[in-house]
Amino acid sequence: MKFIRLISLLLIPLMFLACNRSKNNPGYDYMGKHDMYYTKFYKAFTPNPVFRDSITNQLPVEGAVARGKMPFPYPGASIAERAANQAKAGLEVNNPLEVNTEVLTNGKAHYDIFCINCHGKNGKGDGNLYTSGLFPAKPTSLVEPYVQSKPDGEIFYVITHGSISGLMGPHGAQIQPEDRWSIVSYIRDLAN
Amino acid sequence: MIFNVSVIKSLLRLKGLLLSGFFTLLLFINLSYGQTAEAEANFAVCKACHTIGGGKLVGPDLQGVTERRDEAWLIKFIQNSQELINAGDPEAVKIFEEYNKIPMPPNNLTDDQVRDILLYIENGGVVAGAEVGETEQEVAEEVAVEDADTELLVEMKREDARHLQATFIAMVVLILLALFDLLVTKIIKQKWIPIVILIIAVIISGEVIFIEATNLGRQQYYQPEQPVWFSHKVHAGQNQIDCKYCHFTADKSMHSGIPPVAVCMNCHNQVKKGKITGETEIAKVIDAYNNGEPIEWVKVHNLPDHVYFNHSQHVNVGKMDCTECHGDVEKMDEIIQVNDLSMGWCIDCHRTKEVNFANKFYDQYKQLHEEIANGEKSKVLVTDVGGEDCQRCHY
Repeated sequence: MKFIRLISLLLIPLMFLACNRSKNNPGYDYMGKHDMYYTKFYKAFTPNPVFRDSITNQLPVEGAVARGKMPFPYPGASIAERAANQAKAGLEVNNPLEVNTEVLTNGKAHYDIFCINCHGKNGKGDGNLYTSGLFPAKPTSLVEPYVQSKPDGEIFYVITHGSISGLMGPHGAQIQPEDRWSIVSYIRDLAN
Repeated sequence: MIFNVSVIKSLLRLKGLLLSGFFTLLLFINLSYGQTAEAEANFAVCKACHTIGGGKLVGPDLQGVTERRDEAWLIKFIQNSQELINAGDPEAVKIFEEYNKIPMPPNNLTDDQVRDILLYIENGGVVAGAEVGETEQEVAEEVAVEDADTELLVEMKREDARHLQATFIAMVVLILLALFDLLVTKIIKQKWIPIVILIIAVIISGEVIFIEATNLGRQQYYQPEQPVWFSHKVHAGQNQIDCKYCHFTADKSMHSGIPPVAVCMNCHNQVKKGKITGETEIAKVIDAYNNGEPIEWVKVHNLPDHVYFNHSQHVNVGKMDCTECHGDVEKMDEIIQVNDLSMGWCIDCHRTKEVNFANKFYDQYKQLHEEIANGEKSKVLVTDVGGEDCQRCHY
């Protein structure tokens, strides 16, 4: 009898071992899921039952202009829109920034994050994604007359809405307008 | 004599035949290799707007274009389409208007280079002798070997946690056995032995309880499965894409942000086959984009809600590198939480990290400026500007 008791006691740890900590399990909390640790409010990236599309991060109302921002009323969702508006934006919008070292350093910093992958360090269209053979189409060289002869507004438009062909995607959501303008200044500087 | 002459003549003929055959072979090799390889490189520019047998893109599908149109006209149009349109060529104007008046940029190519491209189009856009499949497979194998290494490391760390659990259970069993023997069975005659075992087991299990209790609410080595098998190692490591290309709000907002699917589509409108997973995982992203449905990624790095953490403060003002907190993300296929994100870990850094005191915001810290001027202080740490104040993070 004693022997059986001992054996059964030894079996208990084996039962416990079954509940291992898996990589999908974040572990336990001190105060539970609904106390001060994790409150019930909806965070920026959590689903939200209040809105119809169940997204917490709602877009601003259409036509809203943020404080201190200039609206850029040249849509470019489709190929036809981009073809119509690209040259128009070039004629009507000017670069609001004066070219100085501060603008150029800011432009370089943002160029090195958002443009360098395709257009390359020196803007020759020899970025890592193309030279390694991952991206099939050759990116446009930014230092040749084809781009350099375009007005600032047109380059800004292409960064915002992408190229007419849609091969370069829109980067307007990723880069703030003033940073886009400083990238334009930096591209001008690259050619010299 | 007659016999000899005829033999020599026939030998000469054979030699000539062989030679001419050799030269035509040489020419053929040149045509099929040298020229198409250059044409393929040149066609990379065209690919932006045209397909060969893949339907309309921005410009027309080029399959069979050499049959539809005259070669001389094609060469002129490809070299400078606008010139032809402005000259009022009816065919050129017609196609310009048919395709939404989007001008085709001029191409700096010679007549021969254009003819090569036309040949390449006629062949259906295939280069002879190119073996792409093999190299792709090699890359995939390389990646797999590297994966195995990092996964082993992570598995070992998770194994440590299991060992703690096993140790604790073993200690509890020892305590129970010792007590059982001490009070009921009394097999061991010397009483001090079970007592010593009891004390040691209690101390060790207490230590385990202490470690586990401090780890409550911390999620170190948490590595959840994501809805899309996305590899940071491929994107940030091998492709060298900057962290902030996708997490573009890290230096402007409290959240570093999950990129919208539209950001993925900047590359994946063209790249539809992955290095490791092939087409299945990228197809999920493209579907999500087309249907307008967000992908529900699982958040890995969680902080309790009673802690305020701001990414822009650390990335933009503090100029910290992402890897300082998130580990070597560019070596991870699946993201794992490397640091425990505990308060002690935060404070440790605040006590040693130097502040960029040239920042205009710190002009108001008059006393610190005086101390630096006097030479009492050589550098200003985060803790000197309130990095250890409770309400800096808890409010």
